[in-house]
Amino acid sequence: MKLPPFEYRTPETVEETVELLGEFGDEAKILAGGQSLIPLLAMRLSRPAVVIDINNVNELNTISNGSGLSIGALTRHRTAERSALVQSSAPMLVAALGYVGHDAIRTRGTIGGSVAHADPAAELPTVLTALGGSVSATSARGTRSIAADDFFEGFLSTSLADDELLTAIQLPPRPDRSGWSFNEFSRRSGDFALVGVAVSIELDESGTVVDARIAMSGVAGEPTRAIEAETALRGNPAGPESFATAAAAAAAEINPSADLHGTTAYRKHLAGILVRKGLNEACDRAKGTR
Amino acid sequence: MTTTPTTQSVQLTVNGVARSGETENRKTLVDFLRDDLELTGTHVGCEHGVCGACTILLDGEPVRSCLMLAVQANGRSLETIEGLGSPDDLSPLQQAFRESHGFQCGFCTPGFVMTTVALLRENPDPSEAEIRHCLSGNLCRCTGYQSIVEGVKSAALALQAGENR
Amino acid sequence: MTALSTAAGIGSTRTVGTAALRVEDLRILTGRGRYVDDLKFPGMLHAAFLRSPFAHARILSIDVSAALELPGVVGIFTGADMAARTTGIEPLVAPPGFRSEPVFGLAIDKVRLVGDPVAIVVADSRYIAEDACELIDIDYEQLEAIGTFEQALDPSGPKVFESLDSNIMLEMSNSYGEVDESFAEAELIVRRTFAQHRVAQVPMEGRGGVSHFDPESGNFVYYTGTQSPHSLKGYISQALGVPLEQTRVVNGDIGGAFGLKIATHREDVALCAASYWLGRPVKWIEDRNEHLLASGQAREERMELEAAVNRDGTILAMRGTMVLDQGAYPAVPFVGGGIVGLIATMMPGPYAFRGFAMSSQVVASNKCTYSAYRAPWAMETWARERMINVIAAELDLDPAAVRRKNFAANDGSVSMLSGATLLDNSCAQTLERVLELGEYDRLRTEQAAARAQGRCVGIGFATFIEGAPGPAAGRGLNEQSIARVEPDGQLSIFTTQAPNGQGHETTLAQIASDEMGIPIGNVKIYHGDTADTPYALIGTGGSRAATLASGSVLHSSRKLKANVLELAAEMLEANPSDLVIEDGLIHPIGVPTVHLTLAEVAARAYAEPADTSEPVLAEPTLTAEAAYDGGIGSWSAGTHFCHVEIDLQTGQVKILRYLVVEDCGRMINPAVVEGQVRGGVAQGVGEVLFEWSAYDDQANFLAGTFMDYLLPTASEVPRIDIEHLENEPNEEVFFRGVGEGGLLIAPAAITNAIEDALSPYGAQINDQYLPPAKILELAKVI
Repeated sequence: MKLPPFEYRTPETVEETVELLGEFGDEAKILAGGQSLIPLLAMRLSRPAVVIDINNVNELNTISNGSGLSIGALTRHRTAERSALVQSSAPMLVAALGYVGHDAIRTRGTIGGSVAHADPAAELPTVLTALGGSVSATSARGTRSIAADDFFEGFLSTSLADDELLTAIQLPPRPDRSGWSFNEFSRRSGDFALVGVAVSIELDESGTVVDARIAMSGVAGEPTRAIEAETALRGNPAGPESFATAAAAAAAEINPSADLHGTTAYRKHLAGILVRKGLNEACDRAKGTR
Repeated sequence: MTTTPTTQSVQLTVNGVARSGETENRKTLVDFLRDDLELTGTHVGCEHGVCGACTILLDGEPVRSCLMLAVQANGRSLETIEGLGSPDDLSPLQQAFRESHGFQCGFCTPGFVMTTVALLRENPDPSEAEIRHCLSGNLCRCTGYQSIVEGVKSAALALQAGENR
Repeated sequence: MTALSTAAGIGSTRTVGTAALRVEDLRILTGRGRYVDDLKFPGMLHAAFLRSPFAHARILSIDVSAALELPGVVGIFTGADMAARTTGIEPLVAPPGFRSEPVFGLAIDKVRLVGDPVAIVVADSRYIAEDACELIDIDYEQLEAIGTFEQALDPSGPKVFESLDSNIMLEMSNSYGEVDESFAEAELIVRRTFAQHRVAQVPMEGRGGVSHFDPESGNFVYYTGTQSPHSLKGYISQALGVPLEQTRVVNGDIGGAFGLKIATHREDVALCAASYWLGRPVKWIEDRNEHLLASGQAREERMELEAAVNRDGTILAMRGTMVLDQGAYPAVPFVGGGIVGLIATMMPGPYAFRGFAMSSQVVASNKCTYSAYRAPWAMETWARERMINVIAAELDLDPAAVRRKNFAANDGSVSMLSGATLLDNSCAQTLERVLELGEYDRLRTEQAAARAQGRCVGIGFATFIEGAPGPAAGRGLNEQSIARVEPDGQLSIFTTQAPNGQGHETTLAQIASDEMGIPIGNVKIYHGDTADTPYALIGTGGSRAATLASGSVLHSSRKLKANVLELAAEMLEANPSDLVIEDGLIHPIGVPTVHLTLAEVAARAYAEPADTSEPVLAEPTLTAEAAYDGGIGSWSAGTHFCHVEIDLQTGQVKILRYLVVEDCGRMINPAVVEGQVRGGVAQGVGEVLFEWSAYDDQANFLAGTFMDYLLPTASEVPRIDIEHLENEPNEEVFFRGVGEGGLLIAPAAITNAIEDALSPYGAQINDQYLPPAKILELAKVI
């Protein structure tokens, strides 16, 4: 398990990086934290001609709060986890980061890398989807914002063009009376989840669900919104009855494939369990009782 | 298309000592440490970032040295198992592991030791649950982990008692 | 009078029975261990294997020309080279009637498993060798693959070895006592089919070696990590045609083995051949994917079992049929499938059945070689201990009561049906003690209350005897050792053990230092080099060290001590029987001020004293040898107790308490004993809840990374509490092995607990592997 040969480039600015991406396109792979790319290279499942290492692009290493939270692509998981700004603005992200691998993975792993790699079982794409976040994609042609719902396109696949660099993720501000939760079940501590569920819920003063976003990992090729569950919740009182209905709807609207670690029926069941649990927790947070 | 050299020189600090070498771009940091710098204390257990045997400290933080390129360590400061105590003069942490009969075959040991160094720097008084959670990124096939957990606990006590080094 | 009380005087240097700190740890904890991959020789090359992507395919052609042109590639060898220039190796230890073909280092005409080595590429670096593997062009014709027992047994199906007319490699029937009569008489017959799934040893260091052929001297040295250096040496010599006396195998530190490394592997042969033919040192280090795919796997057996019982819980007899999937190639020297014989002879265990019978088949498939894994015969213990619980449930009796009812007397009046003694085994005692420590009655009461609250909790326990060495082990496979006093007074011990984590450098030094009366630091244990260790077919394996190697070292040290005292007596003008050795000093009993050191005695033996004309080498010599066969043999015994709670939402099994009461005679080093027990239990936890060397029914391998093959971590393995009984066997050497008992019994204790937890849902646990999805299926949640 040794890496294949590749050309290695180390740009220091976004401009240089996108220039290289423009030159090499799909021949190139971006190396950020390396926690996914290096194993793929070692197993020779990925054969880029050029590896563009962005670890020296310091402008990508930022966390800022304007109209929502913006986290630069090169921000390490550990840095984000420990950031007071992230803790106060995006507690769901912090909770989810706690499930990402282990300390020695999170010290290197990056926010942008996790999102761009788009592993369907990974935590951050699910969080981004549940929070209705977006990514910034920069190329020589300019910068565009891509909503999470439009970004993830299938197994390890995104709508990022070959010449585009994911430079940051954005998470919108949290509305009043909103709550969040992140839960997942994995076979061992630190493993990718069999199923993960991120819930973002907004209530009105009477406790009726104004809006709910539920994103699931591990149930399809990309992070998956439980659209029918969300619809079932909207306009209904938050509570055991509507949560049970939503959980059943979430389990019913997915058709996860079976693998070594869990059957289709098991994953559907787990999704229902985690959605109900997640709705309870998110609702408690929205009501300030958690 | 322009080509860049397939090898680069790397200058870094390992256990406080300046080291350098010429390495292929694609070479992993752990291979560089072992083959080029002849620091074979860091072990290669899976080469895909799961087993933790190759854990070292990069600028004080634990990393998997199989998941970094050697060239990425240029200008950085590394700590490996060789930087702790010697057989004649074990560090308190190593001594604690010895007294707890922490390890058997010893192959996973360097990764556990370095993970523990990082843990105790950040959290000098971890609970058993915190210890187990932290160590769950390292695989051991011999011990069932209990003796390692005990070793971490007694190392924490020893370090709190002022045997810091 | 026991052995050790006649040994060294009662001095401060005695360490047997204490958790003496390990000698090994000084290097292991400082990164100074020397594992195979740490070796480097001038001119050393690196090898990689190209492996088959198919489970079963004919090799039509291999084109290595493009690969050979890659800069840095030094040589490429294929099956054709192996066929032309090496001799196939065959099992040395196989049951009568076992069928196989000779095994070559690389696949020759066809590939028989995913991962079958097809070519070995030797290059300046491993990176280049892997690059070259990608340039080798092979034409395969895919054949129908054999991935299940049914496919293997289908007479019209494909054959793994076409020279053999079926995939049945071995058939064996064992019958003891009154079987048919018992079944005719029984009030009830209970039937179940039990299956163990394929798992693997997975030491943290995979296989590997540096093969170092020196064309000038003709000497061939293979540096590796093997449990059996001498048998590996023999096979390399035979396969390559290198004279045995010019062949040498050398171990360094070994990063775990668990039975896997007892074999001579095909990669060993191919690597040594490449080095021999190129005249250069060549290193191969197995990567984790190769390891999971092709190193060795174990435990794929299915047993249809029936028990003849009476309503009072008496088990009259058991009988059944078993099939074992050996994978494609047989392991050498010990055929994995040969374990069916031991399974059949061991299965009655500590219980007094009137009859037992088993018909076994070993089949070949397109999977990885079935090889030894810690407690290789574990199927019998698991199936028996499961069946006893099934019987208890069927009869509405407590599983403890059924065990009590059927334990054989341990006073020597009853033997195991297959003939082995059950004298002094303490199974019954360990059961009672573990139930007491586990507060079994209280837990049962609490369980009823917990169930009323909708919680799913279960209690399970299971009892074992571990042949360590066991009555059958010693014969013909005795253990030798050599003890020598060095000129500086240090004691060197040469053992046949090939330690890979067991701490023999410490435990054997404890034995020798106590026997000699010198500090443990004055003893050095030499192992793993065929040039200076005594011959042994096995090396480390079969939990042989605690009794056999220790007994051998005890005797060689004792002989040597007699020689030392004889020489010292001459020097002190005393009678040897009036001398003792305490704290490293030889002196007349009660007169410690008049003393000699071992170095002074060594000087007398090895060097001509200046003032005399004594011969240079005195008699008796300061070298002694001994062999030990284990005496009449006896058992380690124990009962494991497991308390679980199952989350019926996720299917996750949480082990609330895991308790062990075991008896391995006197412990040489309690910390080492506990490490062995806990490590085995952890593997048992893994086997039941996490680990599976999975293939689909077309024999495609599905678990080639550590993200698929799940080893339990510190978060999954529970705290394991151990209490030791130390009933010492009435023999000279009263230490018993504990290497295998943990893994032997843990799956039974855990699965019994899980079935107990799920019993309100009518669950029957017949398959040992219980991942969360399976748990919820059993509980009828999904």
